[in-house]
Amino acid sequence: MNRLTKTLSDLKDNNKKALVAYLVAGDPDISSTIELMNLFVESGVDVIEIGVPFTDPIAEGPIIQKAHDRALKNNISLESIFNMVGEFRKHNNETPLVLMGYLNTFIFYKKLIEENHNNAIDSILVVDIPGELNLKDYGINSSNINTISLISPTTKINRIESIAKNSTGFVYYVTLRGVTGASNLDVNEISNNVEEIKKHASVPTLAGFGIKSVEDAKLLSDCSDGIIIGSSIVQMIEESSKSKEFDRIGNYLTEIKKAIL
Amino acid sequence: MNSNNKTLPDKNGFFGDYGGKFVPETLMYALEELESTYKKLKDNPEFKDQFYKDLSEFVGRPSPLYFAERLTKHYGTGSIWLKREDLNHTGAHKINNTIGQILLAKHMGKKRIIAETGAGQHGVATATVAARLGLECHIYMGSEDVQRQSLNVYRIKLLGAQVHAVDSGSATLKDALNEALRDWVTNVDDTYYIIGSVTGPHPYPMIVRDFNSVVGEELINQSKELFNSMPNAIVACVGGGSNAMGAFYPFINIKETRLIGVEAGGEGVETGEHAAPLNDGTPGVLHGALSYLMQDDTGQVKGTKSVSAGLDYPGVGPEHSWLKDSGRAEYVAVSDNAALKAFHEVSEFEGIIPALETAHAFAYLDTLMKEFDKKANIIVNVSGRGDKDINTVAEIDGIKF
Repeated sequence: MNRLTKTLSDLKDNNKKALVAYLVAGDPDISSTIELMNLFVESGVDVIEIGVPFTDPIAEGPIIQKAHDRALKNNISLESIFNMVGEFRKHNNETPLVLMGYLNTFIFYKKLIEENHNNAIDSILVVDIPGELNLKDYGINSSNINTISLISPTTKINRIESIAKNSTGFVYYVTLRGVTGASNLDVNEISNNVEEIKKHASVPTLAGFGIKSVEDAKLLSDCSDGIIIGSSIVQMIEESSKSKEFDRIGNYLTEIKKAIL
Repeated sequence: MNSNNKTLPDKNGFFGDYGGKFVPETLMYALEELESTYKKLKDNPEFKDQFYKDLSEFVGRPSPLYFAERLTKHYGTGSIWLKREDLNHTGAHKINNTIGQILLAKHMGKKRIIAETGAGQHGVATATVAARLGLECHIYMGSEDVQRQSLNVYRIKLLGAQVHAVDSGSATLKDALNEALRDWVTNVDDTYYIIGSVTGPHPYPMIVRDFNSVVGEELINQSKELFNSMPNAIVACVGGGSNAMGAFYPFINIKETRLIGVEAGGEGVETGEHAAPLNDGTPGVLHGALSYLMQDDTGQVKGTKSVSAGLDYPGVGPEHSWLKDSGRAEYVAVSDNAALKAFHEVSEFEGIIPALETAHAFAYLDTLMKEFDKKANIIVNVSGRGDKDINTVAEIDGIKF
């Protein structure tokens, strides 16, 4: 059982909600990213989602786009991300790590992913492929990497079933029509759709895109198995990266973790 | 590989290895809706009548196939014929596609139209058809292109559309496409996205090709009429590749006609500073499709360089990648300097100021015409007129107004 599956099932057994936190690898630099990952863990984050920077991140809003650009200025590649993860794993072999990015990067580094040294990575979330498909469909064979598929408010009911069944990590329910960090949450719609997904999925269903506050987090965790927070953290990373004082981020995550329990 | 194939794309939107639908999940439904609407309408006699009626009465089709007498004499080998897409309403081939897609939008009941544009021609063509139907229209344009194509920006505004300058990334066409896709993800329920080239996720490469194929269809008839045979070659510039695809597609099974696409060589293909993915790229995924792509050694999309805003794009339509690999079409590149030289020459020889994009196709005649004898007939697809480029060329020539 890989770390992601184990962590999520332990949470479920204890009737707890999962907190997934996102950052972009190499924003503002690799050593800060490792520091932030440690801080995430200390603040109660269950799963870390590592954004793999891409020049053309079409699903991202302005906050995360800028973070991708900052990381690319530091010449971050998937290779340097695997090295970074190796560093992190030297002292943490429990926290599940998910890579989130765009297909072009993953195809480009097929071999690196297939090797996945020391099983450092637990899952890969490819933003720009149809939910029924996974990396195997693009010639990347890695048995120890889980699939996380996206389902959105516009996904038709006949596809929900096959996408839910394709997911082996968790189902990522995109809570709104829009890019990351947008602000048009419709809680009723979310709650109905998550309920529909749960009928078909054998893995937990988590909600993300557009959670901006502790209140949003609470609201969405009530109708899902957990939540994913991205833009609001990335915004704080941008604001504190000069001073490299990330305490505010830790406090924010601790507060959210408390709210969703 | 079977290149004798006009049945592509397959049901998943692939032309051989290329194409597909690589988009965020939120757009999958919109693409399915578009595909099923298009399939239902494309052979519907009423829809076709309306499309051809608009092309005839509003665009002014068919566009002439014109004998370029002085250019022909200049080269002294085969006859050069010009397919005059520059004479279309709004000044380029782009209107053929927007006329078709706006009919789809209308049929689907969409109230809001969005589009990306590079040189501004697709923006103008989209704003034009949206105005005609009274639909709200938003055009995304890289801020660098807003600068170098200011004339078209003003035209778009005159037509009642809003222009959104995009500062992210390289601030050119690819970034405008990113931003249009983000708009679409956000407003997918009421918005129709008119993609302007044979790029993007399935079914766009097929739809844009089909609407633009009116160019190649006319060429078959006009060739018979004017020189009583099929042309020896058709030459067209390739950015995303819509004008070339429209001219090439009806000729795919006419083997005596060579199909030649000319990419933007920028500073020269050997310098790496260009926009010629078919000449110097590798397969990759951008904007929803797998196709030849300019990328660096870490899988990031590379910046491009071309004097022509309309060709300044790191990707290319997937069907061109397929035509390249199957050997049915040839793809070459010419430099900025060669294109600029052709821009001036064609203006002086023929009294036609071509778009800088089109000037790339003309520039390749220097090489190509040596391969033919006097009996040959060569068609250049004059994809657009050059009025929009006057500021750019004047600046290069050191002229201030």
